[in-house]
Amino acid sequence: MDTERSDAQHSPEIDTEIRIPLTQMARGQSGRVSLHGAQDDETRMLRAMGLRPNASITMCRLGEPCIVSLSGACGGGCRIGLARDIAARVMVTPND
Amino acid sequence: MSATTRGTEPLTSPRTIAVLGNPNVGKSTLFNRISSARVHTSNFPGTTQDASVATNADSTIIDLPGIYALDLDTSESSVCRRVLKGELAPRGLEAHVPDTLLVVVDATNLMRNLTLVGEALALRLPTLVVVNMTDLAARKSIVIDTEALSECLGCPVVSCSARTGEGIQNVIEAMSDPRVPDRTPPTDLDALELWSEDIYAHVAAPQASVLHDRLTDRLDRAFTHPILGVFTFALVMTGFFYAIFKLAAIPMDLIDAWFGTLGGWIGSLLPEGAIRDLLVDGIIAGVGGTVIFLPQIVLLFFMLALLESTGYLARAAFVIDRVMRPFGLSGHSFVPLLSSHACAIPGIMAARAVPDPKDRLATILVAPFMSCTARIPVYVLLTGVLFPDRPSAQALAFTGCYVVGAIAGLLSALIARRTILRGRSRPMALELPSYRTPDIRAALMLTLDRAKVFLRKAGSMILAISIVLWWLGAYPHSDPPMQAVELREQAAVVVEGASELEAQADEIEARASVERSFLGRIGSTIEPVFEPLGYDRQLTIGVLASFAAREVFVSTMAIQITGSDDVEDDSIVERIATAQRDDGSPLFTPATSWSLLIFYILAMQCLPTLVVTAKEAGGWKWALLQLGWMSGLAYLGAAIAYRVVSIIG
Repeated sequence: MDTERSDAQHSPEIDTEIRIPLTQMARGQSGRVSLHGAQDDETRMLRAMGLRPNASITMCRLGEPCIVSLSGACGGGCRIGLARDIAARVMVTPND
Repeated sequence: MSATTRGTEPLTSPRTIAVLGNPNVGKSTLFNRISSARVHTSNFPGTTQDASVATNADSTIIDLPGIYALDLDTSESSVCRRVLKGELAPRGLEAHVPDTLLVVVDATNLMRNLTLVGEALALRLPTLVVVNMTDLAARKSIVIDTEALSECLGCPVVSCSARTGEGIQNVIEAMSDPRVPDRTPPTDLDALELWSEDIYAHVAAPQASVLHDRLTDRLDRAFTHPILGVFTFALVMTGFFYAIFKLAAIPMDLIDAWFGTLGGWIGSLLPEGAIRDLLVDGIIAGVGGTVIFLPQIVLLFFMLALLESTGYLARAAFVIDRVMRPFGLSGHSFVPLLSSHACAIPGIMAARAVPDPKDRLATILVAPFMSCTARIPVYVLLTGVLFPDRPSAQALAFTGCYVVGAIAGLLSALIARRTILRGRSRPMALELPSYRTPDIRAALMLTLDRAKVFLRKAGSMILAISIVLWWLGAYPHSDPPMQAVELREQAAVVVEGASELEAQADEIEARASVERSFLGRIGSTIEPVFEPLGYDRQLTIGVLASFAAREVFVSTMAIQITGSDDVEDDSIVERIATAQRDDGSPLFTPATSWSLLIFYILAMQCLPTLVVTAKEAGGWKWALLQLGWMSGLAYLGAAIAYRVVSIIG
């Protein structure tokens, strides 16, 4: 898929972890953000908003907007809404 | 003075305190709490960012825009960077490096907030970190060890809840004793993130279990649901507009009456002449005609601020994003376009919050298509003329005007995004703040501020335009026509019906004076241009006079037709509706009325908005483009409406 390929280009290191776009997560599923390397404006904005590498996230709502909770990263449960286009570009490693 | 007793205090400039923090951390609420004295809104020169500044006796507090990081390529971040480096200051202040940096963080969101703290510490300014929202944190059983945090950061840390006021006194005391941090956080982003994670692990008590906030989850899903979300949105907006139009009517009537009384009083004090006319017909009528919209603008901002503080607006932005994206606008454009339904000026100013520059420009360009309150008098008059004694048809046509305006705006945005602003709108990534009970105090402060900005505008720009328009309409003075003189002579001798004769004379005189004025002469010259739209000389004058402000159309028509601008009087509306052209045919035929209605929905007809567009979009070319496009579209639409209705009959 397009999004996976473009992300792979940014990521020089090869790892064996499964990485899927946010849009392919199931509701209630948790995972860790995997955003290595990419340094474009959008990624930097997402990182500043808390969607940083290794941040633990939980999928709260699928579709448009896709809502993720950064319960691990934000203690209380900071929630971020993402347009589908952005969510498709954010890669995560699902827990289990 | 106290300066002599406090020798250590610098005598010259007061201490400058800059307040920095993420969006949604309650920064502005805290700012309002700690700034006991004069708060005013200004802006940062050369930018589109607002600045709240509080001036106390010994300090100046600057509320910086909320940002996620200092090094982002956004206008907010750039403003913060430049202020903290001493390169920029709000208008009216001298730029210098702030004496104190107050960083506000959200206790419920600490880890993310810490990366901004890290960036702030690297500036090596005397710093104080305030952990805000302790009340919400306590409810979520989050405990932050402020002493340990202070140890890790190398600067003082205090906690408070700006919303409840708890701990505010500690913040105020600590503000006088900031410290240059004695720790150096890493500068590399990856390392900074790890640094913040380490600190977070050290200062926040580990939670026994991750709290599932089911209520927030359910509300979020309901508010962003494709059907339920849209339904909720429609309901909220209906209530919103109902309040703006119904509740505001009461104070608007009062303001109208007050300006009327003021005009009458000044008119009776001054001797007849140019100065009296300028004051009463030019300045008081012009400024009064604008200030009358103040209640609607105040209500709009108050309710917007309330909605925003509940957390609902962020969800609504996503609902509307789905509708706007196909047109090349984003959900960020929603608040500016909504505000434009009260007045395009605050709407265009609200477009500052749209992050993508092209999205922002597109929003500014189409904002005046939204039916603002100044169009209402024109809509009321024309729908009344079109559907006399049929209130339901009037209401339907009235609503139709709003829909046509909004659709024209969206389509124009689409065209702009396909041509001059090529590209797709930036997809949204938006933090969804926690749901809260609205903060009435903060909403009131914001509203007061917006009202001041609006009144300042009415007192300068609109005042100037009113004077020019009055002059064009009143000069050159002409002698009363023979017919009027004769009628007055008759009125002086007859016993009965003298007042009717006087009224008739007034009418003839008013028509003649408008016809011979500069405005009338311009109208006669330009009349052929508006002929395809079905307008005669009188209507052309009405359209021209309302070039600077569309609501002027109604009073101009009233003056031309009846010699009085009291359109509250039903009989006058009826006289306008049945008025005749110079050749004796009816002035308002259905075709002309539809043509005028379409014209006023689409036409720019607002000089102050053009000035604001030029300022906010960064150049007069944008304002001229807006004027040209809207006028062209209005002309075309009105001509088509005139033809079609003429043919259908």
